[in-house]
Amino acid sequence: MTENHSPNGKSQELVITRVFNAPRELVWKAWIESARLAQWWGPKGFKMMVAKLDLRPQGVFHYSMQAPNGPEMWGKFVFQEIVAPEKIVFINSFSDKDGGITPNPYMPNWPLEVMNTLTLEESNGKTTLTLRGGPINATELQAKTFEEGRPSMQQGFIGTWEQLDNYLAKNS
Amino acid sequence: MVEYILNLNSIFGALSDPTRRDILSRVGDKELSISEIAKFYQLTFAAISKHLNVLEKAHLILKRRQGKQQLVQLAPAALKDASEYLKHYESLWNDRLDSLEQYLEAIQK
Repeated sequence: MTENHSPNGKSQELVITRVFNAPRELVWKAWIESARLAQWWGPKGFKMMVAKLDLRPQGVFHYSMQAPNGPEMWGKFVFQEIVAPEKIVFINSFSDKDGGITPNPYMPNWPLEVMNTLTLEESNGKTTLTLRGGPINATELQAKTFEEGRPSMQQGFIGTWEQLDNYLAKNS
Repeated sequence: MVEYILNLNSIFGALSDPTRRDILSRVGDKELSISEIAKFYQLTFAAISKHLNVLEKAHLILKRRQGKQQLVQLAPAALKDASEYLKHYESLWNDRLDSLEQYLEAIQK
Protein backbone atom coordinates (compact mmCIF):
# COMPACT_ATOMS: atom_id res chain seq x y z
CA MET A 1 0.00 0.00 0.00
CA THR A 2 2.81 2.39 0.79
CA GLU A 3 6.01 2.46 -1.18
CA ASN A 4 8.75 4.89 -1.62
CA HIS A 5 9.73 4.47 -5.24
CA SER A 6 8.43 6.53 -8.09
CA PRO A 7 7.86 4.69 -11.40
CA ASN A 8 11.21 5.64 -12.88
CA GLY A 9 12.99 3.94 -10.01
CA LYS A 10 14.21 7.05 -8.25
CA SER A 11 13.72 6.54 -4.55
CA GLN A 12 12.94 10.07 -3.58
CA GLU A 13 9.27 10.31 -2.80
CA LEU A 14 6.79 9.06 -0.29
CA VAL A 15 4.09 7.34 -2.32
CA ILE A 16 0.75 6.01 -1.11
CA THR A 17 -1.40 3.85 -3.37
CA ARG A 18 -4.99 2.66 -2.91
CA VAL A 19 -7.52 0.92 -5.08
CA PHE A 20 -11.15 2.01 -4.70
CA ASN A 21 -14.18 0.07 -5.80
CA ALA A 22 -15.60 3.03 -7.69
CA PRO A 23 -15.35 4.56 -11.16
CA ARG A 24 -12.80 7.32 -11.56
CA GLU A 25 -15.39 9.99 -12.24
CA LEU A 26 -16.88 9.41 -8.80
CA VAL A 27 -13.52 9.46 -7.05
CA TRP A 28 -12.65 12.65 -8.93
CA LYS A 29 -15.90 14.29 -7.84
CA ALA A 30 -15.23 13.28 -4.24
CA TRP A 31 -12.05 15.37 -4.41
CA ILE A 32 -13.24 18.47 -6.23
CA GLU A 33 -16.81 19.01 -5.12
CA SER A 34 -16.74 20.73 -1.77
CA ALA A 35 -19.93 19.15 -0.45
CA ARG A 36 -18.48 15.71 -1.13
CA LEU A 37 -14.99 16.55 0.15
CA ALA A 38 -16.56 17.72 3.39
CA GLN A 39 -17.86 14.18 3.97
CA TRP A 40 -14.49 12.46 4.19
CA TRP A 41 -11.58 14.89 4.39
CA GLY A 42 -11.56 15.80 8.07
CA PRO A 43 -11.07 13.51 11.07
CA LYS A 44 -14.10 11.56 12.27
CA GLY A 45 -16.65 13.66 14.07
CA PHE A 46 -15.31 16.92 12.69
CA LYS A 47 -17.64 19.22 10.80
CA MET A 48 -16.13 20.77 7.68
CA MET A 49 -17.16 24.12 6.26
CA VAL A 50 -16.00 25.49 2.92
CA ALA A 51 -15.17 29.18 2.81
CA LYS A 52 -13.83 29.20 -0.72
CA LEU A 53 -13.18 26.79 -3.57
CA ASP A 54 -11.43 28.08 -6.66
CA LEU A 55 -10.44 25.11 -8.76
CA ARG A 56 -7.65 26.34 -11.00
CA PRO A 57 -3.84 26.85 -10.82
CA GLN A 58 -3.01 29.15 -7.92
CA GLY A 59 -6.67 28.91 -6.90
CA VAL A 60 -7.41 28.29 -3.25
CA PHE A 61 -9.62 25.87 -1.38
CA HIS A 62 -10.13 27.40 2.06
CA TYR A 63 -11.98 25.40 4.71
CA SER A 64 -12.53 25.05 8.40
CA MET A 65 -12.92 21.96 10.54
CA GLN A 66 -14.85 22.08 13.76
CA ALA A 67 -13.89 19.56 16.40
CA PRO A 68 -16.76 18.22 18.47
CA ASN A 69 -16.71 20.49 21.56
CA GLY A 70 -13.40 21.82 20.38
CA PRO A 71 -11.69 24.63 18.49
CA GLU A 72 -12.25 25.52 14.88
CA MET A 73 -9.21 24.79 12.72
CA TRP A 74 -8.61 26.16 9.27
CA GLY A 75 -6.80 24.62 6.35
CA LYS A 76 -6.17 25.41 2.75
CA PHE A 77 -5.06 23.99 -0.55
CA VAL A 78 -3.31 26.08 -3.16
CA PHE A 79 -3.76 24.27 -6.46
CA GLN A 80 -0.76 24.01 -8.72
CA GLU A 81 -2.10 21.88 -11.52
CA ILE A 82 -5.47 20.34 -12.30
CA VAL A 83 -6.04 17.81 -15.07
CA ALA A 84 -9.59 16.46 -14.93
CA PRO A 85 -10.31 13.67 -14.14
CA GLU A 86 -6.86 12.34 -13.43
CA LYS A 87 -4.51 14.68 -11.60
CA ILE A 88 -4.45 17.33 -8.92
CA VAL A 89 -1.28 18.93 -7.60
CA PHE A 90 -1.80 21.03 -4.50
CA ILE A 91 0.00 22.51 -1.54
CA ASN A 92 -1.77 21.86 1.71
CA SER A 93 -1.25 23.79 4.92
CA PHE A 94 -3.03 24.82 8.08
CA SER A 95 -4.57 28.23 7.87
CA ASP A 96 -6.54 30.85 9.76
CA LYS A 97 -9.88 32.42 8.99
CA ASP A 98 -8.16 35.05 6.86
CA GLY A 99 -6.55 32.46 4.61
CA GLY A 100 -2.96 32.81 5.83
CA ILE A 101 -0.53 29.97 6.46
CA THR A 102 -0.15 28.85 10.04
CA PRO A 103 1.60 25.99 11.80
CA ASN A 104 -0.17 22.77 12.68
CA PRO A 105 -1.74 23.69 16.02
CA TYR A 106 -0.83 20.32 17.54
CA MET A 107 2.62 19.99 16.05
CA PRO A 108 4.02 23.50 15.71
CA ASN A 109 7.46 22.14 14.89
CA TRP A 110 6.46 20.45 11.69
CA PRO A 111 6.78 21.79 8.15
CA LEU A 112 4.21 24.41 7.25
CA GLU A 113 3.42 23.32 3.74
CA VAL A 114 3.11 19.98 2.06
CA MET A 115 3.13 19.39 -1.68
CA ASN A 116 0.73 16.68 -2.82
CA THR A 117 0.37 15.09 -6.23
CA LEU A 118 -2.74 13.02 -6.65
CA THR A 119 -3.35 10.84 -9.68
CA LEU A 120 -6.32 8.63 -10.53
CA GLU A 121 -6.31 5.73 -12.97
CA GLU A 122 -9.29 3.58 -13.84
CA SER A 123 -9.31 -0.08 -14.76
CA ASN A 124 -12.27 -2.47 -14.79
CA GLY A 125 -14.47 -0.03 -12.96
CA LYS A 126 -11.96 0.38 -10.14
CA THR A 127 -9.82 3.42 -9.49
CA THR A 128 -6.21 3.39 -8.41
CA LEU A 129 -5.35 6.49 -6.43
CA THR A 130 -1.70 7.42 -6.09
CA LEU A 131 -0.59 10.14 -3.78
CA ARG A 132 2.93 11.50 -3.76
CA GLY A 133 3.76 14.03 -1.15
CA GLY A 134 5.96 15.69 1.36
CA PRO A 135 7.14 18.95 2.82
CA ILE A 136 8.25 21.83 0.67
CA ASN A 137 9.78 25.16 1.28
CA ALA A 138 7.33 27.54 -0.30
CA THR A 139 9.83 30.31 -0.85
CA GLU A 140 12.09 28.01 -2.84
CA LEU A 141 9.16 26.75 -4.83
CA GLN A 142 8.01 30.26 -5.63
CA ALA A 143 11.51 31.22 -6.71
CA LYS A 144 11.78 28.13 -8.89
CA THR A 145 8.36 28.76 -10.42
CA PHE A 146 9.39 32.27 -11.31
CA GLU A 147 12.60 31.05 -12.93
CA GLU A 148 11.22 28.09 -14.76
CA GLY A 149 7.86 29.52 -15.59
CA ARG A 150 5.97 26.45 -14.44
CA PRO A 151 5.27 24.59 -11.19
CA SER A 152 8.09 22.43 -10.01
CA MET A 153 8.34 20.12 -7.13
CA GLN A 154 11.09 20.26 -4.63
CA GLN A 155 12.33 16.71 -4.36
CA GLY A 156 12.91 16.96 -0.70
CA PHE A 157 12.48 13.40 0.39
CA ILE A 158 14.26 10.67 2.10
CA GLY A 159 15.57 7.84 -0.04
CA THR A 160 14.27 4.45 0.80
CA TRP A 161 12.55 3.49 4.01
CA GLU A 162 15.09 0.69 4.24
CA GLN A 163 18.02 3.04 4.20
CA LEU A 164 16.44 5.19 6.85
CA ASP A 165 15.53 2.22 9.00
CA ASN A 166 19.08 0.97 8.64
CA TYR A 167 20.54 4.25 9.83
CA LEU A 168 18.19 4.33 12.78
CA ALA A 169 18.74 0.69 13.67
CA LYS A 170 22.48 1.06 13.64
CA ASN A 171 22.54 4.31 15.49
CA SER A 172 19.92 4.18 18.20
CA MET B 1 10.11 27.19 16.94
CA VAL B 2 10.54 28.75 13.51
CA GLU B 3 14.11 27.48 13.38
CA TYR B 4 12.92 23.95 13.95
CA ILE B 5 10.28 24.08 11.22
CA LEU B 6 12.89 25.22 8.75
CA ASN B 7 15.23 22.50 9.90
CA LEU B 8 12.81 19.72 9.05
CA ASN B 9 12.57 21.19 5.56
CA SER B 10 16.34 21.33 5.30
CA ILE B 11 16.57 17.70 6.43
CA PHE B 12 14.37 16.60 3.56
CA GLY B 13 16.29 18.82 1.19
CA ALA B 14 19.56 17.33 2.39
CA LEU B 15 18.25 13.79 1.98
CA SER B 16 16.94 14.38 -1.51
CA ASP B 17 20.42 13.96 -2.99
CA PRO B 18 21.65 10.37 -3.56
CA THR B 19 25.30 11.24 -2.89
CA ARG B 20 24.39 12.76 0.45
CA ARG B 21 22.29 9.72 1.35
CA ASP B 22 25.24 7.55 0.47
CA ILE B 23 27.60 9.66 2.59
CA LEU B 24 25.21 9.28 5.52
CA SER B 25 25.16 5.51 5.18
CA ARG B 26 28.96 5.44 5.37
CA VAL B 27 29.35 7.74 8.36
CA GLY B 28 26.50 5.91 10.04
CA ASP B 29 28.82 2.93 10.37
CA LYS B 30 31.87 4.82 11.61
CA GLU B 31 33.47 8.19 11.81
CA LEU B 32 35.35 9.10 8.65
CA SER B 33 37.61 11.94 7.66
CA ILE B 34 36.59 14.18 4.77
CA SER B 35 39.37 12.80 2.58
CA GLU B 36 38.29 9.23 3.37
CA ILE B 37 34.75 10.16 2.38
CA ALA B 38 35.91 11.84 -0.83
CA LYS B 39 37.64 8.61 -1.96
CA PHE B 40 34.27 6.94 -2.48
CA TYR B 41 33.07 9.39 -5.08
CA GLN B 42 34.12 10.74 -8.42
CA LEU B 43 33.70 14.27 -7.17
CA THR B 44 36.05 17.08 -6.33
CA PHE B 45 36.96 17.76 -2.74
CA ALA B 46 35.04 21.03 -3.04
CA ALA B 47 31.91 19.21 -4.19
CA ILE B 48 32.14 16.79 -1.28
CA SER B 49 32.62 19.72 1.12
CA LYS B 50 29.51 21.32 -0.29
CA HIS B 51 27.52 18.16 0.34
CA LEU B 52 28.88 17.93 3.87
CA ASN B 53 27.90 21.53 4.52
CA VAL B 54 24.32 20.81 3.51
CA LEU B 55 24.27 17.77 5.79
CA GLU B 56 25.79 19.74 8.65
CA LYS B 57 23.31 22.59 8.26
CA ALA B 58 20.51 20.05 8.51
CA HIS B 59 22.12 18.68 11.68
CA LEU B 60 22.43 15.28 10.05
CA ILE B 61 26.16 15.03 10.68
CA LEU B 62 28.62 16.22 13.30
CA LYS B 63 32.12 17.32 12.41
CA ARG B 64 35.05 17.41 14.78
CA ARG B 65 38.61 18.33 14.33
CA GLN B 66 41.34 15.84 15.16
CA GLY B 67 44.74 17.31 14.44
CA LYS B 68 44.77 18.20 10.75
CA GLN B 69 41.74 16.10 9.93
CA GLN B 70 38.04 16.82 10.10
CA LEU B 71 36.08 13.77 11.19
CA VAL B 72 32.47 13.27 10.24
CA GLN B 73 29.84 11.15 11.96
CA LEU B 74 26.12 10.67 11.63
CA ALA B 75 23.87 12.61 13.99
CA PRO B 76 20.79 10.37 14.05
CA ALA B 77 18.42 12.60 16.04
CA ALA B 78 17.52 14.64 12.97
CA LEU B 79 16.76 11.51 10.97
CA LYS B 80 14.51 10.31 13.76
CA ASP B 81 12.58 13.58 13.60
CA ALA B 82 12.19 13.28 9.84
CA SER B 83 11.15 9.65 10.14
CA GLU B 84 8.52 10.46 12.76
CA TYR B 85 7.15 13.19 10.58
CA LEU B 86 6.87 10.89 7.58
CA LYS B 87 5.22 8.19 9.66
CA HIS B 88 2.68 10.71 10.88
CA TYR B 89 2.07 11.91 7.36
CA GLU B 90 1.60 8.37 6.12
CA SER B 91 -0.80 7.50 8.92
CA LEU B 92 -2.79 10.69 8.45
CA TRP B 93 -3.27 9.88 4.79
CA ASN B 94 -4.15 6.26 5.44
CA ASP B 95 -6.90 7.36 7.83
CA ARG B 96 -8.17 9.88 5.32
CA LEU B 97 -8.21 7.37 2.50
CA ASP B 98 -10.04 4.89 4.74
CA SER B 99 -12.62 7.64 5.16
CA LEU B 100 -12.78 8.20 1.39
CA GLU B 101 -13.30 4.48 0.87
CA GLN B 102 -16.21 4.44 3.32
CA TYR B 103 -17.71 7.49 1.64
CA LEU B 104 -17.48 5.91 -1.82
CA GLU B 105 -19.04 2.68 -0.56
CA ALA B 106 -21.89 4.59 1.08
CA ILE B 107 -22.82 6.65 -1.98
CA GLN B 108 -22.83 3.67 -4.30
CA LYS B 109 -25.30 1.65 -2.26
